Amino acid sequence: MNTHEQTQSPRLPIIVFAALILLTISTVLLSGLDVGNTTSLLIAMAVASMKAGLVLYFFMHLNHEPLIFKLFLGVAFFTLLAIFVLTFSDYSFRVLA
Amino acid sequence: MTDQVLAVEHHHDEVGTRLGFWLFLYTELFLFAAFFLVYAVYRSSHLEDFKLAAENLNTTIGAVNTVILLTSSLTMVLSLDALKKGSVKLAKILLLATVTLGVTFLIIKGFEWGAKFDHHIFLQTAKGIAAGQGSPLLTPGEEMLPVGQVLFFGLYFVMTGTHALHIIIGATWMLIVYFWISKGSINPENHGVLERCGLYWHLVDVIWIFLFPLYYLVA
Repeated sequence: MNTHEQTQSPRLPIIVFAALILLTISTVLLSGLDVGNTTSLLIAMAVASMKAGLVLYFFMHLNHEPLIFKLFLGVAFFTLLAIFVLTFSDYSFRVLA
Repeated sequence: MTDQVLAVEHHHDEVGTRLGFWLFLYTELFLFAAFFLVYAVYRSSHLEDFKLAAENLNTTIGAVNTVILLTSSLTMVLSLDALKKGSVKLAKILLLATVTLGVTFLIIKGFEWGAKFDHHIFLQTAKGIAAGQGSPLLTPGEEMLPVGQVLFFGLYFVMTGTHALHIIIGATWMLIVYFWISKGSINPENHGVLERCGLYWHLVDVIWIFLFPLYYLVA
């Protein structure tokens, strides 16, 4: 009845964990590059998003959840995106006294 | 029709419970999103100060704490797997390992905060300042740091502090779950509570995954 109940071998979580550690090491190494503020911030956020994605998808078992769980994540993500984009579309064009 | 007896069945919707818990997790996410938004706005207006202030944070300590939290997420996943497979003892050991890693994270964070306190950088209250306990580095005066750096450290304490509070809540919850597993009320057939406890713990990990680069790698 519940497809979620299947157990898995510990191999997958360990592979995901190894990937997370590798990404952590790469983000520390990449932060040493002299590529300018915006680029280095973008790289750091891209690596962090990959790590968060791995945790959400595998550790939090979104891979085994029904579609509605993924839709919820999508709604949350786009709400966050809208808040950040709208805030900066205001803030960036303000003339500060 | 009339002599049919309605069987009242105790119905527990595990998927629905989990979906509801995910909704709660999104409220937690938006709590932190508000902090991240404030961070983003102030970073964009005080970029140089943010970079200078971030140099005071130790990247190695941040990276070690990241590895500790990632490891604790792994032990949490393995604990749930073990319980589902019926290895109650292994599940309990892995759960305790997760708590231990969480506490280690807090101890390291404590030392890190302590080092900042020694350098007169801490969260101060208006009351404390009035009583003469404010830091000359953070209150208007000759010695005050640039406003951008004061903002950086304020956000650092509020964001890592709120995160640490979540670690404390998660670790406490795990100890309660450990007790329930020992009692047998959480068992291989009924493991929903451990699963939700794990979801909470992983979310706290996800938040740290973003805090780490923004505070320790932007220098």
